[in-house]
Amino acid sequence: MSLLKPFSKLPGLNTANILLVENEEQFQQSLADILVEETSVSVTVRLAKTLPLPMENDESRPRIDLVVFIMNLTSELSFQSAEASLKYLDPGYFLGKVCFMVTNARNASVPTERLDAVRKLAASLHCPLLFAEDQAPDGVTSATERLLTVLKVAAGLVPTTTALYLSNLTRCTLPPDIEQPSFD
Amino acid sequence: MDSSGSDGSLNHKLEAVALNDGPAPDNSTGQKETSPVDMLRIRQQMSNQCFEMAVQLHADKSKRSCSTSEADRDLPDYVSELEMVKTLHFNNTLSLHRMQMWHAMGEKLKQSDPEAAALKVVSDRCMALCSRIQHLQQESRNLQDEITELQKTRLGNLYRKKFIAMGLFFDMKRLTREKMRQIEELMLKKDHPDTEKYKAVLEKGQANLEKYKKMAVMTQNVLRGILMACKVNWLDDPTLRDIAMTLEEFSISD
Repeated sequence: MSLLKPFSKLPGLNTANILLVENEEQFQQSLADILVEETSVSVTVRLAKTLPLPMENDESRPRIDLVVFIMNLTSELSFQSAEASLKYLDPGYFLGKVCFMVTNARNASVPTERLDAVRKLAASLHCPLLFAEDQAPDGVTSATERLLTVLKVAAGLVPTTTALYLSNLTRCTLPPDIEQPSFD
Repeated sequence: MDSSGSDGSLNHKLEAVALNDGPAPDNSTGQKETSPVDMLRIRQQMSNQCFEMAVQLHADKSKRSCSTSEADRDLPDYVSELEMVKTLHFNNTLSLHRMQMWHAMGEKLKQSDPEAAALKVVSDRCMALCSRIQHLQQESRNLQDEITELQKTRLGNLYRKKFIAMGLFFDMKRLTREKMRQIEELMLKKDHPDTEKYKAVLEKGQANLEKYKKMAVMTQNVLRGILMACKVNWLDDPTLRDIAMTLEEFSISD
């Protein structure tokens, strides 16, 4: 099994590497365009459709600091592919180096069970769950800023915080009434 | 686990990273030495990685059988404790840095090179400004106290005036009510003598009227009797007819 391991490589000076995993391969492109414009840190963005990543890039790939799973709530396939990719991630990543990002949460055609399922997944893995607006440029920018905040901590560039600590503060929690039917 | 393997090769890799510029693209001049800032940065990143590896090793070693719900319950307490400790550590570090700074500045001032002279000038200016600030603060405090006193007295005067005004107001009400009562009494008294006189006159007049009415009726009856007794034809004679008509007009019974 080709697991993606968090500590098999050394960090680069003032560098942060982020891996965006998205089944549709759309939002990750726009996020990547803005992420590389960051000046204080040199950000490397790697894009993938699913895990496992191809073996041939293993040597040239730097240490991945943050893995972001992007899910489009309007498609069930998106959620399933993200869930399947989780198996190929070393457990060491789940101590704060994994983040879930969800788009189209406001869409009326989204069944509430899917959002609940995503929430339960994120809560069980103790990972943060971010909601993003992918259609407007403002939404993309704000999503990028939030990802950068988490990325800088995960790469060890913020002196007083570690990824584990931040994940404790930002992790997704389930509302107690998640099993009950919502207003519709 | 890969981590134990990388631990052994860590030192030699660290040298490699420290000596050459590595993948960092911002150092495009290609110098061989890394600045102290860079070294501190890479040290920070490395310590972060080592911490995370240690966490993972620790997690693997201590395989306690506790459920996630138990861990979830304990978690907020640990997080708040951690936060307290972190804040304390941060504050202590800051004060340590301050002390170091002051010590360094003191050492510098003791030497007498041009830098120290400039430093001395700056620090003298700072002291002068600080004492001026203190002086001005004291002045403003005094002025503020005076203002407060003035406001207090003004407020006191205002309340006193209000009190007096209210007292006067109530007095006025009382006085006006009394005056009204007096006037009413006077009015009633005045009506009385007038009406009494008026009444007397009225009664007298009425009595006279009755007397004369009776006289008239009596005279009429006498005349009617005379006419009927004479058996004179008063329809033909106009003067007699007129007199008879007036007799009819006058009501017999009133």
